[in-house]
Amino acid sequence: MANEYLHAAFRTSAEARVALNRLGQDGVAPEHVEVRSSVPLEHDVHPVGAKLRSKIPWTSLAGAALGGTAFFMMVKLTSEAYPLPTGGQPIVALPPAGVITFEGVAIGAVLMTVATVLIECGLPAFRKKPGPLDHHIALDHVLVSVKQDEGASTAWTAQAIETARG
Amino acid sequence: MAGPAASVHEEALLKPLVGFRPKLFLGSLLTGGLVGLLFYAWGFQIVNDIGVAGITRPVFWGFYIVNFVFWIGISHAGTLISAILRVTQAEWRRPVTRCAEAITTFALMIGGLFPLIHLGRPWIFWYMVPIPTDRGIWPNFRSPLMWDIMAITTYLIGSVMYLLLPMIPDFAIIRDRMMRESPKSLKTLFFRVAALGWRGTPQQWFSLEAGIKTMAVVIIPVAVSVHTIVSWDFAMAIQPMWHSTIFGPYFVVGAIYSGVAVLMLAMYLLRRGLHIEQYLNDKVFNNLGLMFLAFAMLWSYFTFAEHLTVWYGNEHSERIVFDARIDGRFSGFFWTMIVVNTVIPFLVLPWRKGRSPLGTAIVGFGVLIGMWIERYLIVVGTLSFPRLTYTEGFYSPTWVEVGILIGSVGLFGFLYFTFIQLAPIVSLWEVREGEHIKNRPAPHGASPALNPAEKEA
Repeated sequence: MANEYLHAAFRTSAEARVALNRLGQDGVAPEHVEVRSSVPLEHDVHPVGAKLRSKIPWTSLAGAALGGTAFFMMVKLTSEAYPLPTGGQPIVALPPAGVITFEGVAIGAVLMTVATVLIECGLPAFRKKPGPLDHHIALDHVLVSVKQDEGASTAWTAQAIETARG
Repeated sequence: MAGPAASVHEEALLKPLVGFRPKLFLGSLLTGGLVGLLFYAWGFQIVNDIGVAGITRPVFWGFYIVNFVFWIGISHAGTLISAILRVTQAEWRRPVTRCAEAITTFALMIGGLFPLIHLGRPWIFWYMVPIPTDRGIWPNFRSPLMWDIMAITTYLIGSVMYLLLPMIPDFAIIRDRMMRESPKSLKTLFFRVAALGWRGTPQQWFSLEAGIKTMAVVIIPVAVSVHTIVSWDFAMAIQPMWHSTIFGPYFVVGAIYSGVAVLMLAMYLLRRGLHIEQYLNDKVFNNLGLMFLAFAMLWSYFTFAEHLTVWYGNEHSERIVFDARIDGRFSGFFWTMIVVNTVIPFLVLPWRKGRSPLGTAIVGFGVLIGMWIERYLIVVGTLSFPRLTYTEGFYSPTWVEVGILIGSVGLFGFLYFTFIQLAPIVSLWEVREGEHIKNRPAPHGASPALNPAEKEA
């Protein structure tokens, strides 16, 4: 029973919001409520008390710093390991090294951003089995799932299912 | 019944993904034939050596480098434009971003092929890769060609990620739909894998949107750097009409100009072929047409400035190249370029009727030809007249080079046709999001004006 969910599909985000408010009033913990949609409604429709967090700006910056350092070191160490004749000019020329470092900054930021998105989204997640109402998401409905043993109110259940029936 | 934004028009986008479309199949077949020409010509060159190409002293950079610069320029259609529109939160961008980003990815792949083709012996390409070897040969990081590799690789990786990340929720929409209709089919399996198990929870959306926004900010300077660095392949050399300080911005503007041109043409063909007028509507063409006009003005201004300073400076070797363009060997190319890149856009695009789908597509086709000519003039026009005049020579492409050029166009079409059959060419979730935003009730306690779909519910 503990892992069984009660699912309800709502045609509009407004209806889903009403249901989520009712769940919040009933004291259902946000971690026991899952909202799913085919569009980003996270600022509008979410379980009461749920907090959304992302480390993306910081991990992207870290990736940029890492990428830039790695690429600069590649240029520096390579140039020093196999010095080419430069006619008295510095072995490590800073302007060209700057160009390469810039690309390193960008590629580091991009790769770290993508990695962070995948980790925060828990992707890939092939083992999750599709739910009975998943096709509603494809129809732009909002799907709300509640853990059954968390005692969602009867009124909410009735309203949710009735709305899902349309 | 579908939700407020999942309209019946989505069916037109999903048709190529779920069923057999004879037109798309025919298109794939035709362009596939051209891809065959590309690899036949390239194979012929590998077997018979680079001498089968027309490049010879002093024109050592011919069609291949022209095509390289041309395709890298085309790649500025998508990711850069899409990123700019995302950062500025232009609402009308929603149907445009996906087809534009796909152009970038495929054009970059094709552009990246040309240095390999130009090498003659493509298997020695790895000499450019900075890995320690007992040869004692390491890449020279002072060379702009090395910067090219770094910049193009970065832009390609960034563009592929920028294309794929927003596609995950769309794959999930199709997966959820197909799991009900045909759970055992191969296509369903493909969409299950491609969706990566996406569920569409608030946290997933929050992270994805943060990622897309960050990537949009990162990708803009990368795109600018790519074509700037391509321009430095020329500008760093002390060759007549190459050694110019404005070559960087001139190339970037030209790249975006040719990118918008191919985008206009692609959007027109998609609209006609897939019947998605609801998404790629007149407003989108009008707005992009205005952007097109702005870049026509910028490109014309840069071209004028570049040629005026050379003419006024009257430096001998530069003047030879300049005269060949204005009334010499290359004048036919030059004036054709001016007509299709400046005159026609200025005559058509300022008018609302000119910014129609057909009008912008015709102008776009012309600009594509004009921008290819511009690259030809820059590469071949200068190399034909080096500073040491006794090395003057005439370049004439062979069937191998022409075949590879035509084949590269075919490869682009083939990749695009394949893409259309694997992913929705208009981002479903972004368009739906736009509808949600449009239908959102007014804030600050105003009466919640339900949209028609909600009223029905």
